[in-house]
Amino acid sequence: MGYYLSVLTFTSITVVAITSIYVITGLAGLFSLGQAAFMAVGAYTSGILITRLSMPFLPAVVFGIAAGMLAAFLVGIPTLKLRRDYIALVTFGFGEAIIAILNNTANVTGGAMGLVGITPYTTTPVAVGIAVLAVVLARNFKYSRFGRQCIAVKNDEVAAASMGVNVAGIKMMAFLFGSALTALAGTLYASYTTYVEPGLFVWTLSAEWIIIVFFGGVNSLTGAVVAAVLLGTLPEILRATAEWRIAIYSVLVLLIINFRPSGIFGEYELPLWRSIARRFRRAG
Amino acid sequence: MKKLAIITIVLFAAAAMLVSASGQREDGAIRIGVIQDLSGPTSVWGNAVARGAELAVSEINAAGGIDGRQVELRTYDVRLSPQEAITAYNRLVDQDRVTAIVGPPISNIGLSLAPVAQAKGVPIVGSFIDPRVTVQPNGEPWTNMFLMQPSSVQYSEIIADFALTELGARNLAVMYDQTNAFSVSLVEPFRNYVNAHGGNVALEVTYTSDDRDFRTQLSQIQRSGADAVYLPIYIQEAVLTLQQAEQVGLDIPMIGGLDFAPPFTDLLPDPTLADGIYVANNYSDSEPQLVDVRAAYMDMFGEEPINKAFKGYDKILIIADAIRRAGSTEPAAVSRAIARTSNLRGTTGILTISPDNHQPVGLSMVMYQIINGEYSELGRHVPESHR
Amino acid sequence: MYFLQQILNGLSLGAVYSLIAVGFALVFNILKFSNFSQGGLITVCAYIGFMITRTFGLGLGATLALTALAGGVIALLVERVAFRRLRRKNSPLIYYFVSSITMGILLENLITIYFSSNFYAFPRFFARSTVRFGPFFMATTDLAMLGISLSSLLILMIVLYRTTFGTAIRALSMDMNAARLMGINVNFAIAGTFFLVGVFAGLGGVFLGINYTLYPQLGKLIVKGFVASVVGGLGNILGAVVGAILLGLLEVILVGVPGIGSGLSPVVVFVILLVFLIVRPQGIAGIIVKEKV
Repeated sequence: MGYYLSVLTFTSITVVAITSIYVITGLAGLFSLGQAAFMAVGAYTSGILITRLSMPFLPAVVFGIAAGMLAAFLVGIPTLKLRRDYIALVTFGFGEAIIAILNNTANVTGGAMGLVGITPYTTTPVAVGIAVLAVVLARNFKYSRFGRQCIAVKNDEVAAASMGVNVAGIKMMAFLFGSALTALAGTLYASYTTYVEPGLFVWTLSAEWIIIVFFGGVNSLTGAVVAAVLLGTLPEILRATAEWRIAIYSVLVLLIINFRPSGIFGEYELPLWRSIARRFRRAG
Repeated sequence: MKKLAIITIVLFAAAAMLVSASGQREDGAIRIGVIQDLSGPTSVWGNAVARGAELAVSEINAAGGIDGRQVELRTYDVRLSPQEAITAYNRLVDQDRVTAIVGPPISNIGLSLAPVAQAKGVPIVGSFIDPRVTVQPNGEPWTNMFLMQPSSVQYSEIIADFALTELGARNLAVMYDQTNAFSVSLVEPFRNYVNAHGGNVALEVTYTSDDRDFRTQLSQIQRSGADAVYLPIYIQEAVLTLQQAEQVGLDIPMIGGLDFAPPFTDLLPDPTLADGIYVANNYSDSEPQLVDVRAAYMDMFGEEPINKAFKGYDKILIIADAIRRAGSTEPAAVSRAIARTSNLRGTTGILTISPDNHQPVGLSMVMYQIINGEYSELGRHVPESHR
Repeated sequence: MYFLQQILNGLSLGAVYSLIAVGFALVFNILKFSNFSQGGLITVCAYIGFMITRTFGLGLGATLALTALAGGVIALLVERVAFRRLRRKNSPLIYYFVSSITMGILLENLITIYFSSNFYAFPRFFARSTVRFGPFFMATTDLAMLGISLSSLLILMIVLYRTTFGTAIRALSMDMNAARLMGINVNFAIAGTFFLVGVFAGLGGVFLGINYTLYPQLGKLIVKGFVASVVGGLGNILGAVVGAILLGLLEVILVGVPGIGSGLSPVVVFVILLVFLIVRPQGIAGIIVKEKV
């Protein structure tokens, strides 16, 4: 039982992170190669507050999210105006810089030896509950006015601007919202493993998330969530084939990208979600 | 599109069912889990530990098992990830119902497993040298975490003492990887010991695991006028350091750790590059207890065992010994028995585990000097304070 | 004195980065995406080079030539598997990116599986490890690398500017459709580019293997090439070389700066990068070379 619960918990945390990538990359078309660093910001902020100041979980999570959003704001101001490939580079550089800072502030963060003894507040129901909440928030965002503006900006920035969309503003909004979710995933992670170290949040993790989103379908929240669950549990399923599993995983992704570039789910969303969204829109 | 999605999900569900079914087989064997990095950056070590453990188990089984029961290993790859380690631990405990677990030689994994093991009760015997893996912040040992080689503190004190007493060095320099927990954990105890015993750490330089060029750091060491330099670093960096030290012209004695142990010199383009290096290892090749194990290992896997392989072997010896003494395969009883391991003859020394900190007592290291590319043994070194 | 020596060290490091950055720039030049599979390609080439020397006992020159050839062939395969179909379907750039990262992970993992991540090292190719110029020294391998990267870059420039094939590549980089209409065989030209990328990966892989020993994560250095090629101006080959050398110099200098060292140098690099992109988003190349290659 404990085994399934721990797989479920980690999968829920991945779902939160993937939801954030869906908002940033899927909706706004921004490419963050340093998103894992925002997870680190959330994890370390909440972890330090919990271990050093004995802060309870909820305020620590709130501070973790706030720190993540603050970092996103600072990175976003100069960056979001740049060309899209430069955004990838700057976020990547930001990620490396965060790891360097974490390694060099050992008296606060523990440096390479990690931050230990974080109280294990994240239980399975908490993680699952927050994952559901994150997905609902992202869905509402997608079907809100802002979500539609995001998609317009992603498809054609000039056209969107001429239609009166505040391009810089809407990009920033998606980036802040997404990074808040990433930081949230970080706070959950820290309070589940009780141990974090800088090396966990390298750019390959950010790249892995982007791959998962594309696997499910970059235009489908349903797809992103299902892909997070599938690829989150795939390593467990493939555990028997130990060393081959990463190779298998890569081949699967290559097949999807090549033969079904819109991802498994394409534009598809669960009907239930669409109808709720429609009602939502009619009411609003 | 919907079809493809459904097919994928069904396939995954079927695979998941298969996997969970495979965990349920029950027979009379004693199960021992193995958690190692088999495919990540430290996989060389993980594979060596896993193989050493495999050898020990096959020998135990050939000799009739433990109290007449055969032993069966369950090995999981965790790719150096705390997340995977926690899941693997839960799987070994809940699905495979193992009695005890052979842990990795990696402190980071040990740190993330300690609280889970405390809660779930199945003991882990590992070679994670960070003392925080076995001792809680309040000074109590983590109930189910056991270390079977010198901790980073014991280890760096042995090295520091060797540098001060045998090499007569007074001014020491240190170069380490500040992004690597193993490397960092070996620095502070070294510095403390040297400063407390009349020496002086003149210079500490760092690099990160992304760096491949250490010539600036090595030039700084050369200019600092240190008598010797301590290098608690990983094997690839050690190879680079020696090549680049030659280029920079740095030729003061270097004292390295386990990573300089055989077959390190085989990796150098020229083994004599390593001349003048002092190496600490857990055992000596000339010690008789090793000979048979080495031969059996080469027979089974067709390669020389590295020191992590002997540790894997000893971890199984410790667990098997504890099961015998406990007369039970119940994890809590085995855990209590491991804490009272005493005078157990392993390949890496006579193992006694302290119930106070779950670390070994009185383990020494064998010092070597590399001369003409060959390891020349200087005997076991035990600091005065460790006796 | 010490400072001049550091500059020499920085140049050596920059030469390593430039071999990576050029491959990056070549692909970006035409297909406009950052090709992360090159990291895996370099790793594979390093091991191939090692197998070649070990099996046939060849010297450096022959090893380099054979590995460069092998690298070219593998790069053709990579293009075929990871990008050809995407191109035919006119997929958005982001798919190339995902495909390239996955391909990189796959290559790295095949190496991990095959070599069980044991460490290997090249034999020593030069009798003397350093060459001295008065008070200064340079590692022989670095000198060889500097020489070979410079001459291969020169050859690359000649290919790009003095051959029909080069003209085709340059035409593609400006407008793929127009080039196609002008009768350029796009598939052939792109395959040719990837072959060149593979050749550079082969050279880079062997030198990285010699200098830094062999391990499956060797390709991680690709990120340095990425940074260098952006600083130089994405897709610009000379710019990438300049960016790589600047990055090498900067890193070596930062290590010597008290309070920064190697640990905090990513922070400084990030800040410089950010300032650079805001002030000069077209990269350095805008100053040094007018025409976009």
